[in-house]
Amino acid sequence: MTENVNENTEAKIVAMQREQGPLLEVKDLQVDFTTDDKRAVHAVRDASFSVYPGQWVAIVGESGSGKSTSAMAVLGLLPGTGHIVGGSIKLEGQEIAGFKPKEFDKLRGSKMGLVPQDPMSNLNPVYRIGTQVKEALKANGMDVSHEKRSALAKALAGDEVAVKGNDDETFIGSAQLPALLEDAKSALTAIGVSGEKFDNVMQYFKDEWVPGSETRWRVADDLIKAGVSDDKAWEIAKKHVTGSTMEDRIAGLLSEAGLPDAATRARQYPHEFSGGMRQRALIAIGLACRPDLLIADEPTSALDVTVQKKILDHLHMLTDSLGTAVLFITHDLGLAAERAQHIVVMYKGQVVESGPSLEVLQHPQHPYTKRLVAAAPSLASQRIISAKERGEDADALLEHQVKGEATLEKSEHIITVDHLTKEFKLPRKKEMFKAVDDVSFSVKRGTTLAIVGESGSGKSTVANMVLKLLEPTSGTVTYEGKDISSFKGKELLDFRRHVQPVFQNPYGSLDPMYSIYRSIEEPLRIHKIGDKKSRAKRVRELLDMVEMPESVMTRYPNELSGGQRQRIAIARAMALDPDVIICDEAVSALDVLVQDQVLRLLNDLQAEKGLSYLFITHDLAVVRQIADEVVVMQHGRLVEHATTDEVFDHPKMQYTRDLLDAIPGGKLQLGLD
Amino acid sequence: MGKYLLRRVLQMIPVVLGTTLLVYALVFALPGDPVKAMFGDKPVNEAVAAQIRAEYNLDKPFIIQYLLFLKNALTLNFGQTFAGQPITAEIARAFPVTIRLGIMAFFFEAIFGIIFGIISGLKKGKWYDTVILIVSLLLISVPTFVTGFAGQYFLGVQWSLIPVTAGNDPGFFDLLFPAMVLGSVSMAYIIRLTRSEISSNIAEDYVRTARAKGMSNKSVMVRHVLRNSLIPVVTYLGQDLGALMGGAMITEQIFNIHGVGFLTYQSILKGESNLVVSIVTLLMLVFVVCNLIVDLLYAALDPRIRYA
Repeated sequence: MTENVNENTEAKIVAMQREQGPLLEVKDLQVDFTTDDKRAVHAVRDASFSVYPGQWVAIVGESGSGKSTSAMAVLGLLPGTGHIVGGSIKLEGQEIAGFKPKEFDKLRGSKMGLVPQDPMSNLNPVYRIGTQVKEALKANGMDVSHEKRSALAKALAGDEVAVKGNDDETFIGSAQLPALLEDAKSALTAIGVSGEKFDNVMQYFKDEWVPGSETRWRVADDLIKAGVSDDKAWEIAKKHVTGSTMEDRIAGLLSEAGLPDAATRARQYPHEFSGGMRQRALIAIGLACRPDLLIADEPTSALDVTVQKKILDHLHMLTDSLGTAVLFITHDLGLAAERAQHIVVMYKGQVVESGPSLEVLQHPQHPYTKRLVAAAPSLASQRIISAKERGEDADALLEHQVKGEATLEKSEHIITVDHLTKEFKLPRKKEMFKAVDDVSFSVKRGTTLAIVGESGSGKSTVANMVLKLLEPTSGTVTYEGKDISSFKGKELLDFRRHVQPVFQNPYGSLDPMYSIYRSIEEPLRIHKIGDKKSRAKRVRELLDMVEMPESVMTRYPNELSGGQRQRIAIARAMALDPDVIICDEAVSALDVLVQDQVLRLLNDLQAEKGLSYLFITHDLAVVRQIADEVVVMQHGRLVEHATTDEVFDHPKMQYTRDLLDAIPGGKLQLGLD
Repeated sequence: MGKYLLRRVLQMIPVVLGTTLLVYALVFALPGDPVKAMFGDKPVNEAVAAQIRAEYNLDKPFIIQYLLFLKNALTLNFGQTFAGQPITAEIARAFPVTIRLGIMAFFFEAIFGIIFGIISGLKKGKWYDTVILIVSLLLISVPTFVTGFAGQYFLGVQWSLIPVTAGNDPGFFDLLFPAMVLGSVSMAYIIRLTRSEISSNIAEDYVRTARAKGMSNKSVMVRHVLRNSLIPVVTYLGQDLGALMGGAMITEQIFNIHGVGFLTYQSILKGESNLVVSIVTLLMLVFVVCNLIVDLLYAALDPRIRYA
């Protein structure tokens, strides 16, 4: 298990890969889901990629990009109404796209394994861990006393030790282990090993000779390396390594996956395991029948970063030593680049870019990939970039419209406000009060426009009109080139879906009688998106997006802090994948640190999703951190409109200068870092 | 586990005391004088009435009556009915009948409820699912005295397919239709419960994982979908068994089955407080024990639940 793949063998792998051709070849794959009203949703469109034996290939993309769907299509495990409508999937040259469920049963487990995403829900809570590993072994009729090695692994192992036959792949049994160690001890003594070296060697044997995992030739090899003569070593190995029981094999598999004290652990239930341990158990299950291809569907995204690294390291080592090819699905480009030799980038159901990892990372071609590179959490140095740069990125994205997507030209301005006026009737007064007086501006796609002004300057009224919560007295608001005042019924619902608010008061904008889960789920329910299960999944994703633990789902707003509530409000706004978020003093009620956290969150979300923000605030410091453009309002009128840098460096109006002076420590550099 | 059991048993004591007191008070508060009722149409002989009252302690205040009952009950002396029969004998006659009826109803609802529930859950949206759902909705919404009387009239009186009434010491066939009537509502609930459990479990991630292991559809269904779906069904059945053992007042009345429900009803009419309280106490014990069994069963079925 510990053999290092040196350069020599690496070259050999490449040669083998060329010779044997791809293990998995997906060509022009199309997967559709059928909605309730019998419409087809194209989840995967003309996706093509290949995986060669022993290779790690990563599919990268955001949720909904079709990466998991592609992988599930390969396994024949498409959920719900999903079905393959075109293209081919070849496993070892055999077309499997049209296979019947029974035929897939024969491939799954033995040819293709799965390490699923969420360790919490992927183990059946009522069975012991060991039982669930056993199911995999039994379903494929595995011989539990002998190792099954792929051709690739055999070729690699052949470099070090001549594997003489099937018997040399016999596992150590736990019953024979004490006698084996005893004989090893006397053999060592016989050749005069003693003292510290003796202890070290024996300790090494004890650690390495795991019943149900290590095989006869490895025992012989270890003994020979310790100095025992070839004949003696093989004699001992043959005498004591005579095969393992089912229990040994289960424990062996679990300990290979990095589970300590595996024999005891196998008798425990999933709820007695931590997330990381469960994922190890799932890895053991995925690899139990030594598949040639392992599909790892975001195997670590539910785990925290340190555990993630450990588990991936282990998986890497394990699949390398077994010669297993891995189709690694992730949303994290950095992670993909670190682990895989080849990267496939998917966006909206299509493969937009693919190539060797380093190349994709260093010279991303497609704007979506560029955005991914910029946002990849593991590429720390590039993570926080200024809002301005991001704005350009988003513009670039527009130029490279993904083929197949609606080609209808989208305007650069997602929201335009034109000569907007709002008058209110004041009590006991004849003349109307002009809350908003002839205001015009537009929000560019993927950028942030801030409206600044004191309270009473009419900025919130503008926000409410843009949200179509108030009707303007005159003037228009257009969204995607359409006047929102004409929106009715379905169109209005659609508008509501794409333009979402986050309000000032996080205490008031969450219903105290609704659990957090219900609050976030509500927009999905209203817009009839997904079923109960997929909505629950979406809520979890959203919580993850705003960096809140899943455990808050069952809690109520009064149990959360202001910053936490605002995150929930943002998660709720994000639930419907909006294009525009209107933040009305979204961070004003929060203290500075929390404010910073929330702003960063908004920044990150913008980079990731290409959102546009209309950001309403009285605080210019906040503007500097988040906005690309600033509109300054006073007494309902627009007094200044310029880019953020211009407003800060060369304010034209006295009012703006006053506002700037009001920033505490305003002369200090408030960078994004 | 032992501690848990002990605690549960000790918990029964206040439950028993509370219920007996409550039931005793309720029977006491019933309008009408049971002693006067014994004389029927004849004029009441006050001397005889007073003697009967003294004999049955009916002349004493309520709380004394209750305490006397408790004292006697502790020595397993539950007293006599007004007709002079020992109460224990009355109960011993009624219980076997109810147990027979209850167990038949139990198996009826368990077997058909689960089978139809599985079919429905696996074939969600197909026509038989719809049919099963509609029938189960009908069974839930129509009261048992309607199904009972209707069945009795058509199957028994008109077409003579089933015995019209059961009478004393009824056999299997006498009780078959009453048991079906008795179990029908629970069966409908079990169908719906099984159906929803199956259809939600089938979409669980661990079911997909099981398929990814290479397990056949059949073993995935049996080991992962069914096994997990039946946990709430089994607990529902366990609780229902307690209810069935309590006898079915309505069903037993309709088919003239002399079981516990029938006996309870009669003794309430006659104002036999001791008999009513004795029966109710016994039923409550059965109920509490059934609940305990359900809880233990639940722990056995779902390893996440452990009692300490």
